[in-house]
Amino acid sequence: MDSWIHPALFFFLGALLLPLFKGKAKKGFILLIPAVSILSVALARYGMYGAYHFLGVEGLFGRVDKLSMVFAWVFVIMAFLGALYALHREEDGHHMAGFFYVGSALGAVFAGDYLTLFIFWEIMAFSSVFLIWYRKEKKSIEAGFRYLLFHVFGGLLFFAGMMLYYYKTGSFVFDSILPANASWPEYLILAGFALNAAVLPLHAWLPDAYPEASVEGAVFLCAFTTKTAVYVLARGFSGFEILAIMGTAMTVFGVCYAVIENDIRRVLAYHIISQVGYMVAGVGIGTAMAVNGAAAHAFAHILYKALLFMGAGSVLYMTGTAKLSRLGGLYKYMPLTMIFYVVGAVSISGFPLFSGFVSKSMIVSAAHHEGRIWLMQLLNLAGIGTFLSVGLKVTYFAFFGKEAAEPLQAKEPPLNMLWAMGLTALLCFIIGVFPQTLYILLPFPVEYHPYNLAHLSETMQILSFTGLVFYLLVKKLSPEVKINLDVDFFYRKGALLFMKFDEKVIAPFDTLWGELYRTLGLSALFKNAALSYAFDRKVIDGVVDGTAYSVMDSGSVVKKLQTGRIQTYIGLSLFLFFTLLWLIL
Amino acid sequence: MNVLKIIEYLRGKAALLKMAFFLFLGALVLLDILLPREDAHYFVDKIYAFWTFFALAGCFLLIKISKGIAHFFLSKDEDYYG
Repeated sequence: MDSWIHPALFFFLGALLLPLFKGKAKKGFILLIPAVSILSVALARYGMYGAYHFLGVEGLFGRVDKLSMVFAWVFVIMAFLGALYALHREEDGHHMAGFFYVGSALGAVFAGDYLTLFIFWEIMAFSSVFLIWYRKEKKSIEAGFRYLLFHVFGGLLFFAGMMLYYYKTGSFVFDSILPANASWPEYLILAGFALNAAVLPLHAWLPDAYPEASVEGAVFLCAFTTKTAVYVLARGFSGFEILAIMGTAMTVFGVCYAVIENDIRRVLAYHIISQVGYMVAGVGIGTAMAVNGAAAHAFAHILYKALLFMGAGSVLYMTGTAKLSRLGGLYKYMPLTMIFYVVGAVSISGFPLFSGFVSKSMIVSAAHHEGRIWLMQLLNLAGIGTFLSVGLKVTYFAFFGKEAAEPLQAKEPPLNMLWAMGLTALLCFIIGVFPQTLYILLPFPVEYHPYNLAHLSETMQILSFTGLVFYLLVKKLSPEVKINLDVDFFYRKGALLFMKFDEKVIAPFDTLWGELYRTLGLSALFKNAALSYAFDRKVIDGVVDGTAYSVMDSGSVVKKLQTGRIQTYIGLSLFLFFTLLWLIL
Repeated sequence: MNVLKIIEYLRGKAALLKMAFFLFLGALVLLDILLPREDAHYFVDKIYAFWTFFALAGCFLLIKISKGIAHFFLSKDEDYYG
């Protein structure tokens, strides 16, 4: 097969055509687009497609190889599940934003050069922000603007790096960079990518914005932005030591916040930082096994994190709150939602038979193989925090625990949401039981068997004894009606401080200046005007009038000469002619 | 609903489940001690039931430190940013 239709095209066209459909046809169309894109990915053959020449730059829309394909696969599967989950939404705009977002993420994954990547990178930021705004609350609007500003900043870092890279190498080709060759341009690009991957300290946009997104939008958001960033890091920057260290730091940082947060979606958002940390660490370690692990974990993570966001979203959708402090005893009203959430929770915690077990452990084992024992310990510590926060804390306080103070009139969510959760849960289970289905997609050949005795023993000890500590300290963990500061403090409070500075210093100065101008400047201006007026009247007008009078005088002389008789004119002409002749000669 | 009945039934047997859980924990430690260790390279592979101690200490510290820092200065009222 020589030609191939880029799956992003279906999403972009689908988004534009969507408003033309109505009723059931629209629902069908919303599911058809991701289904067709799955087909397009299934039919793709490795190779380079869609090379173009623009302003002297060689661009490439479709680099189809193993690394891009593993991400493309999970993106289109997730697009289908996300569309199914969001099927009940009436607004076209929400679905269109979702389609543009998925399409641009696919465009970024297949881009072969920085310029193409940059274009899709920016579409991604600008389409995803609508998924936050569609929650239509004041907080979401504000969080959306912060999200957008932060991503524009990231885009600028990337753009500056890209341009400097072009000056350095004369090319926009996006390929693996050796750590030894990296200097300013590469590190600027790396910073732009790292911002989207929520690498510390450029992470605060994520837990700020995702919990404020619409119920359905959050399911999309948690899948694409950070994982596209993991892809570009794996493509360009594998083996960068700083990523191994920062990734590991992210894993622990994320779970620490997940332990103390109250809002379920905020717990999950912090937990994305932790999980993406595993992938970033895998990319940083850079061996075949570690990069495989990063790709496998991205695949597994997209599914179970989406499942968790679907579960939390269902709770929010049905009860009107996602705050643990106001929830409790939900198992009675939403047992299916609870089961699906728990499947997501055991998957993310890496229980045997579920997807996290076969993906996360690849990265941990890669650290182990490389003798990076401290990294391995910290990654396992984050594993403890994962099960503690997402697995035990949320499940216990939302679905069990004390009954909520205000009785919750909750029911199971609509059928399409249940189906989406059920299918996603099934995929998590299939990957866990048949890891080969995932491993054949990975960029490097896999010689890893997760189901061995040592690994099982290690995992079961970590999970079970975490359970024991939770059982003993459950009171310590009861949710508190608080929010926790993060580095967004600096720009949120910084902006408020600036507004105060504006109000207290700049605005009064401006008023003072205005006053000064009014009293001194304006009166001077008036005096000046009066002077000019007098000058105009006395001098200019005098001169002009004088000229006018002399013109009038000469006019009256001429008038006398103009008698209207032709013989006088001829006589006068002859007289003038001879006078001139006499003067010249 | 069937699922609900199963959960209610299990909640009724909490004491029994607790017993089973503790027995399971004991079995895990025992299993790890019996595990063959010929290809152990690092201390984490050599120490018996290393991950049990790791999980106990790690989980305890994680809760204490996170909650401690939160109470020390991170925690703010929900309308902190207005």
